[in-house]
Amino acid sequence: MIAISRRDSFPLAIAILAFAFLGLFLLYPLLNVFGASFLDRTGKVLTLANYVRILSSSFYLGSLGNSLILGILSTLLTIAIGVPLAFCLARLPIPGKSALLALASLPLVLPSFVAAYALVLLLGRAGIVTRLLRDIGVPFSSIYGVTGMTIVFAMTLFPFAVFPTLAAFKAVDVSVEEAGQNLGASRWRTFRTVTLPIVMPAVLAGGLLVFIEVIESFGVPFVLAEDKPVLAVEAYKLFVGETGNPASAGVLGVLLIVCTAIALLIQRHYLGRRRFSTATRRPPPELVVKPWLRRLACAYSWGVVLISLVPFFAIIVISLMEFRGPVMQSSPSLNNFRDLFGQSWRPLINTLSLSTAAAVTAAVIGVPIGFAITRFRSRVSDLLDVLAMTPFAVAGTVLAIGLIISFNSGGLVLTGGWLILVLAWVVRKIPFNVRASAAILYQIDPSLEEASINLGVSPPMTFVRLTVPLMMGGVIGGMVLTWVTVASELSSTVVLYSGPWATMTVVMFQALEGTGAGIASAAATVLIVFTVLPVALVYRLLRRHELGMM
Amino acid sequence: MTAISIDRVSRSYGTVRAVDDVSLEVEHGEFFTLLGPSGCGKTTLLRMIAGFADLTAGQIRFGNKRIDTLPPHRRNTAMVFQNYAIFPNLTVGGNVAYGLRARGVAEEEMKVRIARALRLVHLDGYGARWPHQLSGGQLQRVAIARCLVIEPEVLLLDEPLSNLDAKLRVEMRAEIRQLQQQLKITAIYVTHDQEEALAMSDRVAVMRAGKLEQVARAQDIYRAPATPFVAEFMGTTNLLTGTIAGRDGEALRIRVGQREFRAIGNARDGESVSFSLRPETIRLLDTGEAPPPGWSVVEADLGAVEFLGAISRIELDIGDGAMLRVAGLDLLPDQLKARGRIAAAYDPRRVTVFRE
Ligand SMILES: Nc1ncnc2c1ncn2[C@@H]1O[C@H](COP(=O)(O)OP(=O)(O)OP(=O)(O)O)[C@@H](O)[C@H]1O
Ligand SMILES: [Mg+2]
Repeated sequence: MIAISRRDSFPLAIAILAFAFLGLFLLYPLLNVFGASFLDRTGKVLTLANYVRILSSSFYLGSLGNSLILGILSTLLTIAIGVPLAFCLARLPIPGKSALLALASLPLVLPSFVAAYALVLLLGRAGIVTRLLRDIGVPFSSIYGVTGMTIVFAMTLFPFAVFPTLAAFKAVDVSVEEAGQNLGASRWRTFRTVTLPIVMPAVLAGGLLVFIEVIESFGVPFVLAEDKPVLAVEAYKLFVGETGNPASAGVLGVLLIVCTAIALLIQRHYLGRRRFSTATRRPPPELVVKPWLRRLACAYSWGVVLISLVPFFAIIVISLMEFRGPVMQSSPSLNNFRDLFGQSWRPLINTLSLSTAAAVTAAVIGVPIGFAITRFRSRVSDLLDVLAMTPFAVAGTVLAIGLIISFNSGGLVLTGGWLILVLAWVVRKIPFNVRASAAILYQIDPSLEEASINLGVSPPMTFVRLTVPLMMGGVIGGMVLTWVTVASELSSTVVLYSGPWATMTVVMFQALEGTGAGIASAAATVLIVFTVLPVALVYRLLRRHELGMM
Repeated sequence: MTAISIDRVSRSYGTVRAVDDVSLEVEHGEFFTLLGPSGCGKTTLLRMIAGFADLTAGQIRFGNKRIDTLPPHRRNTAMVFQNYAIFPNLTVGGNVAYGLRARGVAEEEMKVRIARALRLVHLDGYGARWPHQLSGGQLQRVAIARCLVIEPEVLLLDEPLSNLDAKLRVEMRAEIRQLQQQLKITAIYVTHDQEEALAMSDRVAVMRAGKLEQVARAQDIYRAPATPFVAEFMGTTNLLTGTIAGRDGEALRIRVGQREFRAIGNARDGESVSFSLRPETIRLLDTGEAPPPGWSVVEADLGAVEFLGAISRIELDIGDGAMLRVAGLDLLPDQLKARGRIAAAYDPRRVTVFRE
């Protein structure tokens, strides 16, 4: 038995607070979802009847199948698009590469269900392009269902596959490739036998990220699925329909968690064993290729990135057009915005203030956890690491259902207020915040902290006065990313909001259900502006700030 | 007066005993060096004093005050880190002020003390500069000023010069030593460079695999090593093994193959011993030259000669595959080669005998 030394009391305090927070707002709700799925109607007797009922229903089995098929197809398509793009960006001379990289990261922060909605407006049953095609006599059925969803997911999630793979392509030591060629392998053979295996773990990591995002996604299937049920949406519908004991929603929630958890475990298992070295001695130079190949690569790279941004441009343009009911007219107007804000400013104010609260809270909780798990390796910190990553595998819908079951009665009632929204967002964004701060902390030499403690500043004060200021650039970046992603969060928000606490995404959601295409596109435009502007601004500031520090 | 007593401390990492039952006393105002090969536990011992490594056994006291139970920020030690650990987000002045702020020193007094500390390390007027505007040597000085300014009970230095180039290293070690003498501060210095240890220290502790091999004044460590390990670690030496073949007056006769060496020391007849004879204490005699009174002579064949300018490194073959290394001052290889067989003279009092 090793005694707990004084030096560990600070990380231990962090760990205890983190366990308390995540225990109360993550584990306890999840436990209740599990509980609900195993209880009968009276809520008192343990039973497997709910599972039997759901798993023998062809409708719900279908939704499980649809979710998995959708996940797999989208992942494959994303990889098929993303890996060549990553290769072009890493190894070929593409004009305007840095602009391209910046643009390619935009789909990560833009709300994907806005893209889905844009697709409906353009190619849906009454879509602009659909009608145009029909007018000139081209038959066009519809983009609803698996096809449409797969396209939207690939368009919005491809950066998840591109960025890790790009880093891996850059981390390949050229001398390894040269050694391959030197031993008599052709270029293509070298690529297949040397380069690809090195980048494979990164591809897989990105792919599984995509898979989990797809499985969890609520907004995209809600807009595009039509008659194809998927787990995340059905869980929501069941939950809204079930009063009292949400047994069936609980079962779907558990199925969702099982799917994502399995994907996560596969990823961990695979990555734990193979890891490419990132310590490149010589970064690979750009390849010299024939002009036609270069032009092709350029067209491909710019093509993919620009096409992925089309829905967002389209939404902005559409929002500036006149609408009569659901039908778009050909004259420009600001009426959509007038209608949107004519209803109320509350949703915008809610989104701005609650997202800010969530981003700050997520940083305040995530940064110390990142600190504790990077600076102090112990069994406690390993456990904390696992727990802090758990929200990643939990769909927003499921977490929200759990939060409602847990906090709609009893000692702590949160339903009906704004706090429950913020808590759900914070919990969902903790993995990102912890990972981001851990990544920054790995860059900061621990002996700086030791020097501070040695000069007489206690560990907690050292953390506040030295570590946090040193991390500031990264923390602000992380906060902005948290802010923009929770501002466009839908899956837990739609379950948790109530009355006056509707956000912009809820307005869009409601407008989509009704006939307010104009209002929905105006809301989407507002959301895009509020997403892109802070990201662009902060990144400019950060770059200058970091240059100043260098 | 004792400044630091280290009393039977140990520290293990898993099965590795990084520091193994070490006891030490360091006097007030002493410059004490921990010396040893890589991985022998020097850093660990130093970090135990600073409070960054826990003790698995033992006690550490400053004067009469036990400090190993105190958290590191209350120990009033000041550590100079190998990589300087200068806070990049603070100016030079801010770095030096850091420890004073923690102690709640008034703004007025702080200014005076910072200026004095910067003057001590020859950085007057650098207070407003940022760390990235300084050279490696200047950063090192900031690190030292930052420590001195809080007037610590003990200054801890972990290989503070190893990131500097050779010339700067020599300059800085003289400066650190001079500062320490001027302020009469107790310092514990970690290095694996024996020359640095000899040049700077009052006393040196040689460590090996977590244990203390010898603790002594710098010159004694060199002149009278307690073990073959210390003899070899402190510069080049000839470490030979032989058997005691009797006595010749007060000198022991040690038989090494066909040759016999003489040494002042204690050992039984027939006992097998090893002994150390430093290359620079051996003198090559000119043909027909008599050895100085009291010295012994060993005959040998000339082996390899390496001419290094001021000195030449000479290897002598004393038979049975045994070699004797000699450092010859102001010698030319040609002079030696003309001679063939060579007589090497040494003072038996400079031979250190190690009994098994
Ligand atoms: N945090 C740690 N975890 C596990 N083993 C450690 C740790 N720190 C040190 N050790 C082990 O303890 C032993 C002593 O290490 P220490 O750093 O004290 O050596 P050192 O004498 O300072 O060496 P160097 O001259 O290379 O700096 C080594 O075997 C090392 O591997
Ligand atoms: Mg060391």
